[in-house]
Amino acid sequence: MKRHLTERELIEYRFKLVSDSRIEKAAEHLGQCGQCRKHLEKLVRRFAALDLLREEITVSDDLLRQVVEQAGQPVQRRIIPFRKSAWLSAAAAVLVVGLLLLLADNLSERVTKKPEFAKEPTGIEGEIKFEKDTEITRAERLDKGVPAMKTFAMAPSKEEMRVGKALGGAAASGVAGGEVQEQPPFAPASAIELVTLPRRENVQLTIYNSADLTLVRERRNLTLKKGWNWLQFMWANTLIDPTSLTLEPLEQKDKVEIEQLVFPARLRELGRWLIRSEISGQVPFEITYFTSGLAWRAFYMGTLAKDEKTMRLEGYVRVDNGSGEDYENAQTRLLVGTVHILDQIAELAKRQYPYDRPRGPISDELGGGRQYEWMDRDAILLGDIAQLAGSGIAGLHPKEIKKEGLSEYFLYTIEGTETIPDKWGKRLLSFEANDITVKSLYKYDEERWGRNTIRFVAFTNDEKHNLGQTPIPNGDVKIYSRADDAGYLSYVGGTSIKYIPVNEEVELNLGPARLVTVEPKLMDFKTENYLFDSKGNVSGWDEVQTWQIETTNTRILPIEVEITRGFETAYWQIKFGEKDISYEKYDVTHARFKLNLSPRSKKTFAYTVRTYHGEREQSLRESMTKETAK
Amino acid sequence: MDNTDRSLIDAHCRGDRMAFAELVRRYGGSVLGYLVRMSGSREQADDLFQETFKRVHEKAYMFRGTQFKSWLFTIATRVAIDNLRRRRRRLVSLSQAVDCADGTCEQLNTVAVTDGSCEPSAEVAMAEQKEQVRRAIEMLPARQRAALVLAYYQQLSYREVAEMLGCSIGAVKTQMSRALRTLAQRLPDISGEVK
Repeated sequence: MKRHLTERELIEYRFKLVSDSRIEKAAEHLGQCGQCRKHLEKLVRRFAALDLLREEITVSDDLLRQVVEQAGQPVQRRIIPFRKSAWLSAAAAVLVVGLLLLLADNLSERVTKKPEFAKEPTGIEGEIKFEKDTEITRAERLDKGVPAMKTFAMAPSKEEMRVGKALGGAAASGVAGGEVQEQPPFAPASAIELVTLPRRENVQLTIYNSADLTLVRERRNLTLKKGWNWLQFMWANTLIDPTSLTLEPLEQKDKVEIEQLVFPARLRELGRWLIRSEISGQVPFEITYFTSGLAWRAFYMGTLAKDEKTMRLEGYVRVDNGSGEDYENAQTRLLVGTVHILDQIAELAKRQYPYDRPRGPISDELGGGRQYEWMDRDAILLGDIAQLAGSGIAGLHPKEIKKEGLSEYFLYTIEGTETIPDKWGKRLLSFEANDITVKSLYKYDEERWGRNTIRFVAFTNDEKHNLGQTPIPNGDVKIYSRADDAGYLSYVGGTSIKYIPVNEEVELNLGPARLVTVEPKLMDFKTENYLFDSKGNVSGWDEVQTWQIETTNTRILPIEVEITRGFETAYWQIKFGEKDISYEKYDVTHARFKLNLSPRSKKTFAYTVRTYHGEREQSLRESMTKETAK
Repeated sequence: MDNTDRSLIDAHCRGDRMAFAELVRRYGGSVLGYLVRMSGSREQADDLFQETFKRVHEKAYMFRGTQFKSWLFTIATRVAIDNLRRRRRRLVSLSQAVDCADGTCEQLNTVAVTDGSCEPSAEVAMAEQKEQVRRAIEMLPARQRAALVLAYYQQLSYREVAEMLGCSIGAVKTQMSRALRTLAQRLPDISGEVK
């Protein structure tokens, strides 16, 4: 090979990306050509930089534990038989179509035979006759295949079973002669035929950061039968607060009524809604409840422009789910502010009975039913879950609705939906704002930060600064700056910010600055103007200190420096040698100087402060009064 | 070792949690390293790590081969590439890769200097070089990045990489060649200069 090797050929030779024969040829050429050898060495040196990222990365115990925990559930085998064999798919399709035709035919027959539904008041509407609850032990439940996880299930009522039997099948469900039985059944006949309902259509999470509290609103399409329907809700292994459960139909509200929610005795971690339906078919429902175990936190990344006059700010939130429940495609809303809660939700979730243990003897006061005084012990937290108050159990006191502390909050809604499985965390982009005008400021205050000059970046959360759409929740912020033309970032500093309301200015403390220094030097000190009392003791004097402040800016940008000096007394006066220096009285014992320094410059100024002590304080007061009078 | 992997995965399918834990312990480090280099962020890599092993857990019964490591890295690659695509869709800034929410900046080799204009110490210069390497890798297209990380950092043969990426060895070499040519333009020299 007479010509020189190209960079591509050298790379392919170095990493053996071509055939052996071409590698041999390249090696032969390299043996003779010094220029190509140099080129190769240069490339090898450049690729050596890749080894900088070769460090060992270890899995933290925490991560390991999380991964192993998430695998705690048994492996679910999915059978997908129709994927590869076309004939199998065709056979299955024919089978399905045949079944559908058969079903449609059967249904149409049934519809024509069914008498029209007529709701006639019987005079016993709303009155409940309590019978002995059907006891379903845990063992029975397991035998009958009731799922242990939180789920919804529907069961036919006792009445349905009886009527169904009388009519010879599943055609009747809580209906007799086409009419819904007005007397609600006390409990489902049994846990047999429990049906797991369809998945959530959608779910909305509102996570309250100040408390371990999340409001979950989910929509599910439930298939109801005409008559009485039991819907069972189980919250085992989750942190759901059962006292907050509500259910509401979103359509057919005039035909579907939620009668009551019962928490059967001796059956733990489940509740049953009794639904009266005048129709058969699918009805969308909204189910609302509180859960704990979900949390979120905000953090931000600011990138200063090269001139540090503007900043790009990106806000993120990390949502962590430890609630025991997977939330798929959830619309996530984050609430900033403080809410008052009556109980810790996690505690409520762990209770053996949702409203604590039932107490007292069975009384006949409520139509021969039980004593339900325990039902109104715990109040429900929000107005939109007031459903329980009207849950249809006649004679019960309505639930108390608490709304304390809910007035000052702000709700963030994350765009789109997110899937947040249990034990998982997810980081989401919450907002981006470009070209936020910022003010860079350096502050020096020995009493607060010692001999360090502290760097600040200030901006206002308002529309003028391309923000102001919402308050900014508290969180950690990291600030970077563009270090060069290639856009590489340099870490400048980080801090925590507190909740920033709209139109409020915030100053981010980015820590000590190395390139801006302030050095005060005491140049002179004396005491004078002594006063003596009648016994010859010193009763007053002045202290006079002369300070020289040297401020250095080694940066390539102009800066503003704010220097705060304290005098430990309210009686002080300042005089300057130069005329272009001024100060403002920051408070009774402090003065503040502001300086503007051009790039790579130094500024020195001196001031003399006279402090008055003892009876000399009076003389200062008098002179100030005179000045004010003038 | 492979036989043990097979027996571990079988045990996991039977519900043995210890078996799964052993698999995670055995391959966790290399998978996490791979995901950190693919995503450019430790925190994201942690999420992807969980997602990878979640899929391993869910699909364990589908594992029929003998090379568990190849299968695992195939899953990790899919997870990582999906994530890159998602990230691109969300218009997340490149700087997002540096995630300091939990104080992991140092691990991520972020240049922690007070000001860009100062004279960097050797440590800071090293951090800067690492950052440049990370950024250079981050700019590569997903498949080129995957090929590079698997072949260079995970030290897998081109044949193994091809298996994991589901393509031919020739395609892997082409991706590698393209990636290296791009990197040759972007990587810092030993002196820290960018060509």
